[in-house]
Amino acid sequence: MNRFRVPFRILAVLIVTAIAWGLRARAVNLLPIDYDEDDYLRAGQESAHLIRTSDWRGFLDTNYRPEHPPLAKIIIGVSILSAPEKPLTPDAPTTAGPNQYLPRDLVKPARTVNAAFGILTVFFLSLVNPLGGLMLAAHTFTIKYVSQIMLEAFPALTSLLMVMSYLQWKKGKRSGLNGWLILSSFFFGLTAASKYLYCVVGIAVLVDWYLTAKQDASLKSFFRNALIWSALAVLIFFAFDPYLWPDPIDRLKESILYHAAYSENASEVQSANFPLWQPFVWLTMSPAIWHDGVFPVAPDLFITIFAAFGLARLWKKERVYVLWLGLALFFLLLWPTKWPQYIVTLTAPLSLAAAEGVMATWEGIVLWWKGRKNKPAVQYKKVEIRNVIPWLVPGLIAFALLTLLPLLFQFAVSLTDFNTASIRDGFQGGIWHAVWGGITGQIRAMPLSFSDRSNKVQYTGLGSYFPVLNFLANDGVLVFNVLWTILSVLLQTGLGLGIALLLWQRGVRFGKFWQAMFILPWAIPEMIGALMWLNIFQPESGWLALAVKTYGPNIPFGFFAGWENTPNLWLIVFLIPAIWYGFPFMMLASSAGLKMIPTEVFDAAAIDGANIWQTLRYVTWPLLLPLLIPAIIIRSIFAFNQFYLFQAFYFQDSTLATLSYNVFNPNNGFGRYGGQFAISAVINIITVIILVGFVMLFNRWSKAGEGVSYA
Amino acid sequence: MRKIPFWRQIFTQLAFILIGAFVLLPVWSTARLAFDGSLIGRPTEFRFTPKEFSLDAFLKVLDKPYQSVQFEILFKNSMIVSLGAALLAMILGASLAYAFSRFRFPGRQPGLFILLLAAILPPIAFTTPLYIVLSILKIRTTLLGLTIVYATFAMPFCIWNMRAAFQSVPKELEEAAFLDGAGNFTTFLWITLPLALPSIAIASIIAFLMAYSEFAIGWLFVEKASTVTLAMSIYAIVQTQYLGGAQPWSYLGSLAIIMSIPAILIFIIFQRTLLDRMMFGVSGE
Repeated sequence: MNRFRVPFRILAVLIVTAIAWGLRARAVNLLPIDYDEDDYLRAGQESAHLIRTSDWRGFLDTNYRPEHPPLAKIIIGVSILSAPEKPLTPDAPTTAGPNQYLPRDLVKPARTVNAAFGILTVFFLSLVNPLGGLMLAAHTFTIKYVSQIMLEAFPALTSLLMVMSYLQWKKGKRSGLNGWLILSSFFFGLTAASKYLYCVVGIAVLVDWYLTAKQDASLKSFFRNALIWSALAVLIFFAFDPYLWPDPIDRLKESILYHAAYSENASEVQSANFPLWQPFVWLTMSPAIWHDGVFPVAPDLFITIFAAFGLARLWKKERVYVLWLGLALFFLLLWPTKWPQYIVTLTAPLSLAAAEGVMATWEGIVLWWKGRKNKPAVQYKKVEIRNVIPWLVPGLIAFALLTLLPLLFQFAVSLTDFNTASIRDGFQGGIWHAVWGGITGQIRAMPLSFSDRSNKVQYTGLGSYFPVLNFLANDGVLVFNVLWTILSVLLQTGLGLGIALLLWQRGVRFGKFWQAMFILPWAIPEMIGALMWLNIFQPESGWLALAVKTYGPNIPFGFFAGWENTPNLWLIVFLIPAIWYGFPFMMLASSAGLKMIPTEVFDAAAIDGANIWQTLRYVTWPLLLPLLIPAIIIRSIFAFNQFYLFQAFYFQDSTLATLSYNVFNPNNGFGRYGGQFAISAVINIITVIILVGFVMLFNRWSKAGEGVSYA
Repeated sequence: MRKIPFWRQIFTQLAFILIGAFVLLPVWSTARLAFDGSLIGRPTEFRFTPKEFSLDAFLKVLDKPYQSVQFEILFKNSMIVSLGAALLAMILGASLAYAFSRFRFPGRQPGLFILLLAAILPPIAFTTPLYIVLSILKIRTTLLGLTIVYATFAMPFCIWNMRAAFQSVPKELEEAAFLDGAGNFTTFLWITLPLALPSIAIASIIAFLMAYSEFAIGWLFVEKASTVTLAMSIYAIVQTQYLGGAQPWSYLGSLAIIMSIPAILIFIIFQRTLLDRMMFGVSGE
């Protein structure tokens, strides 16, 4: 078996590269002209002109769109050298729409060279991990932005090469500078000279390097080497950025300051009004919906999901990729400009993480399959089975009628286009008729169409799933729901645990009174609590809006005014009632947990001279956490399904809410055509699939919980 | 027992005052509207306290809160539906819960998985099919139909909880009853059920509250004003209010306060056991 490993690997790399080639070649030919392509083509034309006329001094003062360093633009210029010279693409402001009149015989070579760098990136990544290479090869956002006249393709390649050569160095002796390290700083310099954003990768390398040096207790040589490495990179950056030579300080300052000003003031950034978490939305959606027929597959969402599960494994294998992914994501979250092409900075490590996620899933399935055979078959007693029947049957009938049947029905509806137009037919068995016909192959699946609504229920097969998943991804519903769950549970737990710890101190005055008061939000029905908060946040007549109207916007919390137009504030305004409603539960759960920890442990800690924080960190927290996990899972499920809060805050046509809310209001996502029962059903099925994951967590915890008892 | 130092006491109390303000803020924002007699439509000026203190809104709401339906009818509907749903869910679910808690049979593990999944599904998952089934049975717009809807929402949760309750009854007690010649059913009725009753009662209170405060989905099952529940009438007021209706906002506030009182009482009395039940009976007791 081992004999075939190397040839097999080579074959895998070649196949993956070929796939990348095919997909990118297709994109080069089919993608329409996008924003900014005219700008960078013009920059390329300027460089090409300088090269043709051998005007080398001209590079000192030529850098169209000087906010980006010139290297990637010069490369575009080189790529169009063999094409006939065309008049310079007109200068247009950054707000201008895509210029559809760019000469095709310039666009083609410029795009092709960029795509070639994209293919090379996939090639090198598949040397690290062929599966990861495959992920990157098929990642549609990456395909799009490396196959257009953008500045992404080259720095994406050089930043990967920088990390790979650094890792080569790390694998070796790690001592001193050698060729690999110098190569790595060379690529860092090239990266910086192409697009600043990709320099985040350099920080990841430095962090990893520092951590490794700390492990080896060789910090001294780290500081020396890292300094040389960085200095070399700066030199190379400078060498490949001729525009800087005449006036380095001012031009560098100008180009960097431009980005800060752009993110604050540019009208296109303002009008896009992207939320803080928009990079996550880019990661879950695919440009396939903008460009019909360009991408044969759009696995972006699944790559991101697998990557989330593969992070831990990747960290164990090679930390620097996770650092790269994390730092880049962190930067993109903080940075106010949120264009989709920025995620190309991190799709390489993302693909590696996704590959690990796929492997972990695969191994899990294999393990389960093997374990299934080894498990001894449970012997059931005949008497017991006979005895259980009278208990099971009546309950099962009720359960099947009231719970299973509706779920089955939902699934059936999700395979059709059932809506208000076909409601009568649906009531008279049209759904079963359509689904039965579809499954048995008597009826062909119809494409989902909203405008042409038949009064008969039509079978669509799984045809509605992709539009719905697309809607959930594009409108950010999926990301919002996950973010919502994590943030609201985190904050509820933080507040609840904090209060429980405060109440738990010996001799706190009025403890009983405070606890009774803090339970109040839990006791008020969720919808009424939401209405109470709505009295505060209602945009026109709410308490806050009136206060701002009376006293001006500079009062405390005045910045919340107009929250309904800003996605970030929108999230916060919904989180406030969610925390208010949820923290009492976590407080009670924490209090109950704290009571179960034997006091001797704390006496022991006190004898050993631990202070408050040490006791909390090393004694209370590890003992409490296993007791809190059930409560955290319950709250997560609740937060994930949160519906009444969003329904009570009376906003029509908004999709920034949980899946449950969108099940109830499917028309928000699907525009003018009301009563899309089928869409509801599809969202419902997706919710069920996600909740199955939760139940697995739940089961594992309840098994683990049996072993935990301190009382 | 050593008491905490003075500065920590002060810090703790200050923190609690802040959190208390956070807890009470929305309650007060509602109360200041509910007790304001000067409101004609929406509030137009910022006030911390009611402009004219009055109980008019409460009296109006206790008479005819929604359209021309009397409060007693709404309250009666709420009670019928909520109590009915809790009872129905319990009765329909009890035998299944007992089967899963006491017997080993093929398909038990997958069954438990499905039960738990059903218990954590959002109620909306069941809405459309119920709508159609109840329409076909011609009881969609009746109180019975609504009761069935809410019972459906509550049943998986109740089954899961009753299962835990039955499991916590010592098996030895049942075995003793068997030895004395009691049958399965007799043992369940006279031994297990009474012993598990307190936990079951708490679970049914949760089912009751679920139905008591549900409004959005129930609204789909209502056509006549006479089958509206309290929670729905609140939502109806919200809808007219934000669509520019002329009702004073004080009605909504006062009705919300009235509706919360029973729930608050229940929670304050049973807080510890409610918590345990809501954790699906698996918190470490």
